[in-house]
Amino acid sequence: MMKEMDYIRPNSIEEAVQILSDPGRRGKLLAGGTDLLVQKRVDPPDYDCFVDISRLSEIQQIRVSDGVFYLGAGVTHAVIAQDPLILKYVSFLAQACLSVGSPQIRNTGTLGGNVANAAACADSLPALVCLDAVAHLRSKRGERQMLVTELVKGPHETALETDELITHFTFLQPPPGVKTHFIKIGRRNAQSISRLSIAAMGRKDKNGNVDFIRICPGAATPRTMRFTEVETYLMGKQACEELYVDAGQRMAARMVEITGVRWSTEYKEVALKAITERVLREVLG
Amino acid sequence: MEITFILNRQKVRVDVPADITLLSLLRDYLHMTGTKVGCEVGECGACSVLLDGKLVDSCLVLAPQVEGREVITIEGVCAEDGSPSDLQKNFISAGAVQCGYCIPGMVMAGEALLRKTLKPTRSEIREALTGNLCRCTGYQQIVDAIEMTAKQRSQTQSGRDKNV
Ligand SMILES: Cc1cc2nc3c(=O)[nH]c(=O)nc-3n(C[C@H](O)[C@H](O)[C@H](O)COP(=O)(O)OP(=O)(O)OC[C@H]3O[C@@H](n4cnc5c(N)ncnc54)[C@H](O)[C@@H]3O)c2cc1C
Ligand code: FES
Ligand code: FES
Repeated sequence: MMKEMDYIRPNSIEEAVQILSDPGRRGKLLAGGTDLLVQKRVDPPDYDCFVDISRLSEIQQIRVSDGVFYLGAGVTHAVIAQDPLILKYVSFLAQACLSVGSPQIRNTGTLGGNVANAAACADSLPALVCLDAVAHLRSKRGERQMLVTELVKGPHETALETDELITHFTFLQPPPGVKTHFIKIGRRNAQSISRLSIAAMGRKDKNGNVDFIRICPGAATPRTMRFTEVETYLMGKQACEELYVDAGQRMAARMVEITGVRWSTEYKEVALKAITERVLREVLG
Repeated sequence: MEITFILNRQKVRVDVPADITLLSLLRDYLHMTGTKVGCEVGECGACSVLLDGKLVDSCLVLAPQVEGREVITIEGVCAEDGSPSDLQKNFISAGAVQCGYCIPGMVMAGEALLRKTLKPTRSEIREALTGNLCRCTGYQQIVDAIEMTAKQRSQTQSGRDKNV
């Protein structure tokens, strides 16, 4: 007979990782459930106990101290989308979270779940990667930290161990004057070919030259990463339309270099060029 | 497992398997069938309810997650005397109901919005309905019904404010 599914709601991170490390059961973290409960309908679960962390206030904080942002993994998309600190300093993360699903999904779905689930089209990834965000992981064995771009290795593939919990993310508050922007095209339900996004941070100096730039496309490459070659190219150049067009071509070329030519490449090249130009206009214009 | 929660202002205690959804708890165990089953994967909003005042898809909430919390379903939004609420009446008069399947979810989504603001723009109303699919009406009349209710409620509210 199949074992009945268990449910536990730990009251602390400590208790949660204790349960995850218990050899007598196979625990699975449950946050908003918007990925997990959909998957449970499709694939038979390989766990026998839900470990509900949706009410763990320890992982629901947002704060900035000494220029470092601290963002709990249990914060929902709805909360991030309206948070004054996020809107003030890193508004592209609010834009990304506001683009997720529907009001219902945003009210329960969390940042930690979005990253841990690691869908190719996870909308928080490009902004987090742009910020060089670090994920803080906890297990009974201790703590470790990892850049989000390294934690998420590819579609639905992460470096997370089954007994590990993401407690929070940290990143540096962007320098003064740096603008951020996120653009997403395509719908979740449309074929995955049509989903593509981009996050960027940028600033120009008093002469109109680019003096800060980071750019990261979403769902363009297996691993979500900054296109540093293009960033290096842009640094110091005069911000203008020709530069944005040029950068768009370079972004597309770099994507093809990484992924090779696929059936979807033709569409994605055109789309990535277009959203690169648009995002640069926003952060450098 | 045993779950105790507040359902439409009444304390309820049930003993159910730990891995069922709130949607199944409501319909299959409590026989409250006002909340509808559609896609069961968070796409259609037919199963929408308020959990601690927030709009959620009950098909994506695990039943034990509501322990100690407050759930309001379509059965709980009626007027005090049990007749349809102002919002529900406006759905009818705006011609917003055809087959009716999506309507409980739409009313919950409308109610969730009106609890946040009584001055929503039409695009805010549309945005608030992005998690709710209707295959009959084309949404226009649903937006009308919510807009109408917002106006009426803000009028009665400002009336009340003047009287105090
Ligand atoms: C209709 C619909 C539309 C959607 N639209 C979008 C969209 O537009 N963009 C988008 O990016 N996503 C979308 N999603 C996917 C989903 O809503 C998000 O990925 C959400 O952020 C997942 O978070 P959650 O809290 O619900 O995760 P859960 O479902 O609770 O968990 C997901 C996975 O992460 C693990 N996990 C959760 N929290 C942690 C943690 N703190 N540490 C370690 N592991 C953890 C769980 O064990 C599980 O494996 C959509 C989903 C649905 C159903
Ligand atoms: S049945 Fe829950 S969203 Fe469709
Ligand atoms: S009235 Fe039929 S689905 Fe909306």
